[in-house]
Amino acid sequence: MTPSKPLELLAPLSGVLLELGQVPDPVFASRMIGDGLCIDPTSQTLCAPLAGVISNIQDTGHAVSITDDNGVQVLLHIGLDTVNLAGKGFTRLVEEGQSVEAGQALIEFEADYVALNARSLLTLMLVVSGEPFTLLADDVVETGQPLLRLSPIEALDAVDEEEGDALFSKPLTLPNANGLHARPAAVFAQAAKGFNASIYLHKQTQSANAKSLVAIMALQTVQGDTLQVSAAGQDADAAITALVALLLQGCGEPVVAPAAVVAPLLSSTLLTGVCASPGSAFGQVVQVREPELNIIEEGTGEAAERAALERGLRAATEALQALQNQAAGSAQAEIFRAHQELLEDPTLLEQAHALLAAGKSAAFAWRSATQATVKLFQGLGNTLIAERAADLADVGQRVLKLILGIQDSAWDVPECAILVAEQLTPSQTASLDTRKVLGFVTVGGGATSHVAILARALGLPAICGVPVHVLALANGKQVLLDADKGELHLDPDLAEIEHLEAARQQQVVRHQRDLAQAALPATTRDGHHVEITANVASLQEVQQSLTLGGEGVGLLRSEFLYLDRNRAPSPDEQAGTYTAIAQALGAGRNLVVRTLDVGGDKPLAYVPMAAETNPFLGLRGIRLCLERPELLREQFRAILASAGFARLHIMLPMVSLLSELQLAREILEEEALALGLSELPKLGIMIEVPSAALMADVFAPHVDFFSIGTNDLTQYTLAMDRDHPRLASQADSFHPAVLRLIATTVTAAHAHGKWVGVCGALASEALAVPVLIGLGVDELSVSVPLIPTIKAAVRELALADCQVIAQQVLGLAEAAQVREALRVYHAATVEPSPVLEN
Amino acid sequence: MLDKLKQAFWKALTPDLIAETVAAPAPGLVSAQVLAALGGVDNLKSQQRVALTRVRVHLQDPNKLDAVALKAAGVAGVMVLAGGVVHLLTGLQTE
Repeated sequence: MTPSKPLELLAPLSGVLLELGQVPDPVFASRMIGDGLCIDPTSQTLCAPLAGVISNIQDTGHAVSITDDNGVQVLLHIGLDTVNLAGKGFTRLVEEGQSVEAGQALIEFEADYVALNARSLLTLMLVVSGEPFTLLADDVVETGQPLLRLSPIEALDAVDEEEGDALFSKPLTLPNANGLHARPAAVFAQAAKGFNASIYLHKQTQSANAKSLVAIMALQTVQGDTLQVSAAGQDADAAITALVALLLQGCGEPVVAPAAVVAPLLSSTLLTGVCASPGSAFGQVVQVREPELNIIEEGTGEAAERAALERGLRAATEALQALQNQAAGSAQAEIFRAHQELLEDPTLLEQAHALLAAGKSAAFAWRSATQATVKLFQGLGNTLIAERAADLADVGQRVLKLILGIQDSAWDVPECAILVAEQLTPSQTASLDTRKVLGFVTVGGGATSHVAILARALGLPAICGVPVHVLALANGKQVLLDADKGELHLDPDLAEIEHLEAARQQQVVRHQRDLAQAALPATTRDGHHVEITANVASLQEVQQSLTLGGEGVGLLRSEFLYLDRNRAPSPDEQAGTYTAIAQALGAGRNLVVRTLDVGGDKPLAYVPMAAETNPFLGLRGIRLCLERPELLREQFRAILASAGFARLHIMLPMVSLLSELQLAREILEEEALALGLSELPKLGIMIEVPSAALMADVFAPHVDFFSIGTNDLTQYTLAMDRDHPRLASQADSFHPAVLRLIATTVTAAHAHGKWVGVCGALASEALAVPVLIGLGVDELSVSVPLIPTIKAAVRELALADCQVIAQQVLGLAEAAQVREALRVYHAATVEPSPVLEN
Repeated sequence: MLDKLKQAFWKALTPDLIAETVAAPAPGLVSAQVLAALGGVDNLKSQQRVALTRVRVHLQDPNKLDAVALKAAGVAGVMVLAGGVVHLLTGLQTE
């Protein structure tokens, strides 16, 4: 056994080097497949970095791996998502099984075709067999130049399994923050190779050959996992001692001794979380758990496993399509559509196929691929994306069950269930008999999590962020969920229950009544009419709003036309969409189109923008449009094409200076003139910036209307990010400062005979309706499903009362006091619902 | 993938309720210095950002391209292709 000579890998291409971690592809960047580097090529022939045998070449010609005599395996992967090109643009020059010399040409590719049709040309060279290496070049390389020097590793001894009973270590807790990912796994495997014993690393029921980097990585360990090392053979004792010590030391990674977990002192009768959907319910605990799936790692032949995976994916796609068709609302349908897209994701598929090619089973390959990406999502430090990890896990599970042939047992939920789960997935909730469910309690999740969306859509109470020991509650335990306060009472007293139960009953009946009366106008008891319109982003939502009693569109978010695109939609396409929406509304209804509201916080791919340190205070909304007036001009033209079909209004977002309004008006007038329009559409601005609200009297003569965007107005007025984990609860639009700005705006507008709408989230809160009406707001533009509720809320009020309460709350000190005052007011003045008398 | 998913949810949810924390968008296509090294604006038939790291330009006369000046202007790599098409490797643009 002689140490092999250091091996140098040659540059497979000419080009510019890029560190692997920077590659915009989570799977490669995470080194999940192996460490290596990336070249942005300037040549078009991929050459062998080492001599060896072609162990695999993809039919599509975009990837090839070479294994040398010593077992060093190198994967070359041309471009990102190039699997989608299905071979076009690539010419294979070698066959699988063929021996190649270092420097021999392997694949030719048409760089221009690939650049124009795939995501990227960034080419990966990965040392799959896990040898550590040093870099021999930087910045720019030429084909054939030495690029990496692999550290010599001892050739593996004969792979005969050592005889004898295996010895097991005591269980230990894995300290590495990211589990045994490539680097620590390589260190561990390297150490294991120093022993003759056959050694395995165990995680629960799974085990991996400790000398195989890939096998260790496939264990998908995470911090805190309980692991065991087993060894059989002469030096088994020594191996276990050394490897356990290595694991506890972090395998070369710095680790922190796990802090003793201090059980927080908690009330035994009350658990608190965050309100995700308001309301309350008394019911019994039903714990929701996904069954552990028993997955066998080894496959039964690549072709069979590939077919199994494809069957699973196909069946899942069909199931998701069916779920979309049955979905309760458009949000639900969108979620399942997004899930379908995940199933087609080339990165996931490619990774799964790579594992299939390595002899793994379909289920194992799919689970590894999805789990790796789930972990990445969770690690990106963005709550919205972290919550999408739950979606990916959900799709992953769906396909796995289909591959394994596990029937989703029709989920038999007992009556009056309060579902308790770590996290509820869309699939779990879709198969749910929601008539039996009274509420949701989850440990994970937040305001944008799926359970929050679903609960709000169903009008059921939900709380998120509840301490984890809620999962230990016994099934069937009677609990009281008071979502408004974010509380779960484990030992509720009878009076409390009866009170909340009555309120809940009333809520259900009220909602049904509101729906039935959706077509009635929103007129207060003393005869004051308030226009209730819809916030929409599609034609479909417009139609839905009309069936729910919407009186027009108070906010059409035109960005929806532009998202998801690499270039602007054609003028004809834009005009077609606006016209269709206007026609659906008809000449008697308002259509308020907000011009493109994007910026550094929500960028568009085809509108290049410089990076901004604070995008919320940067080129957003009208500022961006005036910076690129052609974009605005084109949009005006498209909107004007719909003139005459509805009462057309154009609204400019994020206006903070009068000059912005004037510039936009000039462009609008030019475009209207060019189209020969005799009558200009109404032009208004959003009041989202405190300066615009404070100067409303200056703006008013120059606009036809104002619409108040309470979300941005709140965050700019209070200087609080509404997604800040600590501030979110205080960034409340009920703050008197925000209400005073609304009052200022309305006074100024009415002095000039202009109308004022509110299209922010505040308008969709029934509690806010009296104060908004009392302040003189003329129009409430609300989210589509809430139209009946808000209309009903208006009908319960009297304008004169609203004016009194509005003036009172303006004098309060903070948002919580305003909310409390409005609650008291509501309880005192609104006539009790007739259902109570039944 | 992430962007697609995010956008789907952006549409599914009420957009006003979500803060989008997205990586900074890309800056303008090429600098004046690069433009000069390509033979001036008149030598440029088209320019387009492609493949995350490249600006693809179509030149009237590829002979007017000054590789040394391009390098000096900070273009890390240049790939001259058939028909006057040139890829400028300008580095990773955030998606």
